[in-house]
Amino acid sequence: MAKRTFASACSLASMSAILVASVSLPSLAPAQGRGPTDPGVRGGAAGAGDPITGLSATERAFFEAAKDVFAETDGVPDGLGPRFNLDSCLGCHSQPASGGSAPAVNPQVAVATLLGARNTLPSFITANGPVREARFVRNPDGSPDGGVHALFVITGRSDAPGCSIAQPNFAAELSRNNVVFRIPTPTFGLGLVESTPDSALEASLAANSQQKRALGISGRFNHNGNDGTIARFGWKAQNKSLLLFSGEAYNVEIGVTNDLFPSEREGNAACQFNHTHPESPTPLESEGGASPSAGFQSDIALFAAFMRLLAPPTPASATAAVAAASPSSTTTGSTVVASAGSVLPAAAGTTSTATTSSTTSTSATVDRGRQVFANVGCAACHTRTQRSGGANVAALSNVTFEPYSDFAVHDMGDRLADGVSQGEANGREFRTAPLWGVGQRIFFLHDGRTKDLGEAIAQHASRGSEANQVIQNYNALSVDDRQAVLNFLRSL
Amino acid sequence: MRRLLHLGAVASLATVLASALAAVLAWRYGETILPFAVTSAMPQDGGVADGVYTNAYFGLSYPLPKGFGEGLAGPDPSQSGYYVLANLVAQAGGAGTILIAAQDTFFDKPHRDLAEAASEVRDTMAQIEGMSIDREPAEIAIGRRPATRPAWRVDFNGVGLYRAMIMTEMRCHLLSITLTARDPQERETLAQSLDRVSLTARRDPPVCIRDYAGGDQLVHKVAPTDIMPSRTPIPARIIIGSDGVVRHVHVIRATNAQRKGIEDVLRQWRFKPHTINGRAVEVETGLALRSGGGKVTSTD
Repeated sequence: MAKRTFASACSLASMSAILVASVSLPSLAPAQGRGPTDPGVRGGAAGAGDPITGLSATERAFFEAAKDVFAETDGVPDGLGPRFNLDSCLGCHSQPASGGSAPAVNPQVAVATLLGARNTLPSFITANGPVREARFVRNPDGSPDGGVHALFVITGRSDAPGCSIAQPNFAAELSRNNVVFRIPTPTFGLGLVESTPDSALEASLAANSQQKRALGISGRFNHNGNDGTIARFGWKAQNKSLLLFSGEAYNVEIGVTNDLFPSEREGNAACQFNHTHPESPTPLESEGGASPSAGFQSDIALFAAFMRLLAPPTPASATAAVAAASPSSTTTGSTVVASAGSVLPAAAGTTSTATTSSTTSTSATVDRGRQVFANVGCAACHTRTQRSGGANVAALSNVTFEPYSDFAVHDMGDRLADGVSQGEANGREFRTAPLWGVGQRIFFLHDGRTKDLGEAIAQHASRGSEANQVIQNYNALSVDDRQAVLNFLRSL
Repeated sequence: MRRLLHLGAVASLATVLASALAAVLAWRYGETILPFAVTSAMPQDGGVADGVYTNAYFGLSYPLPKGFGEGLAGPDPSQSGYYVLANLVAQAGGAGTILIAAQDTFFDKPHRDLAEAASEVRDTMAQIEGMSIDREPAEIAIGRRPATRPAWRVDFNGVGLYRAMIMTEMRCHLLSITLTARDPQERETLAQSLDRVSLTARRDPPVCIRDYAGGDQLVHKVAPTDIMPSRTPIPARIIIGSDGVVRHVHVIRATNAQRKGIEDVLRQWRFKPHTINGRAVEVETGLALRSGGGKVTSTD
């Protein structure tokens, strides 16, 4: 069973590196006279990682207990491996705060050789690249695979004596063009998503069907194969619930078996060091702590609770912009300049004169960007608002929220297709990625192929994509309007 | 494997060529060959050749505006029977796009008439922040005289993009043409190009009847046994001959296995002949098929 201790020194070191990297991102100065430029990762307060407003003291204590478990690092005695991608939830979900997406410094590089492990780093894992999992498209016999093939093994680790298994031969699979990637999805605000009734999602998808018809867009939901209801979590909306999402990730990414996924994926007996079954069960006695009820919960229940109670990301207009604004700010206007990754709304009466560039972001350009975003058709799928239904946590009940997603899957064309089918989503379909918090995301698209928002937009267009007309509309805009869209997105 | 792929490609090419040829012949010589064309073609089988977009299923021929060609192809037909038929774009740095799409009316929310559909478009667009309605929905005629066809048009603009949506009804589909330009004049030029459209309807097209396959008319039904379970209904469209025999099956979106299984059994279904004024006529209808335990139901 995974021990509920606070993050290890290793984890703290990783986080320190992440924080340092976060504040030293290179300036993304715009190219004058060319196309629009992604202002880069928004600086300032994270505006994410806190519990949703309105929790009771008991719920808040539960959230904090769950957050601690989410941050724990697992060793082999806790159930890590024998095959795994990383050793903690937080390691993958840490940008810009706990629960987020892939950080600037990839912790997979360090974990590959942690405690004497002898893993070869696959070529697609780099220090400054995204955290990734790898899937193989086909089995050796040509039949569909689509499953996750863990990057690392515990062989060589000091806490795994006698275990000798090999990593998959990624180089060979890459040469066969048989490897596709996924990066971590941010988990902020997911309690609201989970609490949204199917009927509300269906009504939302149907509400703008006439606009979609003028844009070549259709879309459909990925229904759960067992009960027929709408699945909504994961890159292909393949997971029905946060608990399922947690249980699968705990087993597939970290290698810890649990109540939902009790079977080891690697059968080699010499590599089994935790002999409980599953390795992380529901405790029958409270493990104590500040939240008595949390003490009775399994790790995966706590992971799910953490995500469920996480607040949605706070857009820039509501974050404390002044703290992150340039030190050369004056108090004569209402403009803040985007430089070195800051698109910030001005505090009243504040003007930054630190930099001048075509990415100058004012509240006016952000507002214009929102308008353009809706007009060209981005918002047909990246639906701004949804509304939750009744929930057993009052703070999640009947809340209008802004995920910028319809949670449907759409054909994204040849360029983004990964050939992996999950549920009803085929190898070309992906869930509309929620855009809340995108202003502080580093890597984009399902495989993290780009850090550039403009490139992420461009990748939406290719043969067979539902987004082709929207991208044509976007490309027909003036540079200023395209820039406004990027500024708007970085404000989210 | 390669050989199979090659044969598949040849077959697809042959289908496209046959459809294009049928449409061109229909355009040149009128309605005489269309019964063949409409029975064999699928809505998505159109294409551009020599500057003309042709679609045999809809009997549509559209000489493109000068400088226009095919852009990126759209997605496969959707679960709700929506087709992106053509994405036509100005080439070599020009401006403007033309999107031709079709919505199968059997799988869409029913509209009283085209006016209501156009009004819905207008209201949807008007709700978008920064979008203005330039031209309220109005009936127009598209196509070459004298064989024009009634359609409805609504114009709207926002953020420097001037758009018009033109809708007409054909073969139980709502056919829409969306024009996008950078200025109103350019939009009007694109709209005028629709005067050159040829829409050649069959003399006696099948009668469109919603929910027909779920009623008492069905006298013999065979359920597929080898299609995969699916929570989402599989949309299919059939043409029933005047003798009650299924003449044409089009499974709109399904896996290959589902498609074959459904096609095989639907061709075995038998219906009572449908009569109008005492005369037996062909019927075209849609079915939403759900599988599970070998049971197939029409849910329309």
